[in-house]
Amino acid sequence: MLTTVVNNDMSAINASAAAFVDLNAVWCGPCRMLGPVVDELADEYDGKVDFYSVDVDENPVIAQQFGVSSIPALVILKNGKPVASSIGFKPKAQLKDWIDENI
Amino acid sequence: MKDVAIIGSGPAGLSAAITLINRNKDIAVFGPAGGSAKVIRSHEIRNYLGIPAVSGEELAKRFADHAASMGVEITDDKITAVYAMGEYFALQAASGAMYEAKRVILAAGVTAAKPLPGETELLGRGVSYCATCDAPLYKGRPVAVIGYSPKEEAEARFLAEVCSAVTYFPVYKQAPDLPESVKVIKEIPTAVESKGLRSRAVRTAEGGYEADCVFILRDSVAPSNLVPGLDTDGEAVIVDRQMRTNIPGLYACGDVTGRPYQIAKAAGEGNIAAISAAE
Repeated sequence: MLTTVVNNDMSAINASAAAFVDLNAVWCGPCRMLGPVVDELADEYDGKVDFYSVDVDENPVIAQQFGVSSIPALVILKNGKPVASSIGFKPKAQLKDWIDENI
Repeated sequence: MKDVAIIGSGPAGLSAAITLINRNKDIAVFGPAGGSAKVIRSHEIRNYLGIPAVSGEELAKRFADHAASMGVEITDDKITAVYAMGEYFALQAASGAMYEAKRVILAAGVTAAKPLPGETELLGRGVSYCATCDAPLYKGRPVAVIGYSPKEEAEARFLAEVCSAVTYFPVYKQAPDLPESVKVIKEIPTAVESKGLRSRAVRTAEGGYEADCVFILRDSVAPSNLVPGLDTDGEAVIVDRQMRTNIPGLYACGDVTGRPYQIAKAAGEGNIAAISAAE
């Protein structure tokens, strides 16, 4: 399932054994294109990986924490520790490989 | 939604187009109506089978007429991004329009755009190709813009409204038409550098100019930037003998797949790509 993060609240992300975080913004074209792909992945990995959507305008502290300088930015965390990050749109098949390699 | 979207109206793109029309596919072709400027500029071609010693202009006309006679329509809209959505492809165009197709054939030709030293390494971390995408991240902060054509001045103007300062490097002869607030530096950038965690710089023969982000705005888009996730070998898109790329449903043909840069090769590869896309 996909959780929308608000109020710069990292607690759920940090508590997840495996978390996929999608940092995005409403004005970002590639972010909008990635949205449906991330939705599908959230369904496919339901129970195995927790998915989070972070709007960088709404959550500037989180954006800064992750050192986001270009979006969309994707981060995989395991027990609150970032293990992999990726910038920009990626085809769904490649994102699946990336998740499988890192969880 | 089209069956196949063809990016490029040169010999590769049009060869693919006529092959797909023959197979009753619903297609869209994106590119200049007159075809490839490269072909038109060619003085004389002697090795295009069936047409001994022909001028580039005449050959381009023959290609255009053949395609038109088969009902191929060319949409003069520049594709700026191709997103592989899984079951289909979304194509973003310079006009703002979004097109959709089940398959895509990339026949965009070879770009002259060579990245500056430091550009690829810093991309996404203080170097950006898209002002509209990343401008809000640099609200109230100083940025630099390297513009490769007068068209990019509009982007610099937009950035000037959002950022604290804009330094513009025109890589062309025409004097830029920009507001006074934009500082124009008529020096040719030679590299992009990192000056620390949040600071970058544009280096020229005369010195270095710091900025939080460097926007590099070119007319042509390198294939790996046009199609995020596409495997390339330098400037060439990697394909197998069926013109398949690493992205299922996306094929490439012509100069974009590398040498030799020959019209006959482009037409042949366009034919193969079309047959692969039609499966």
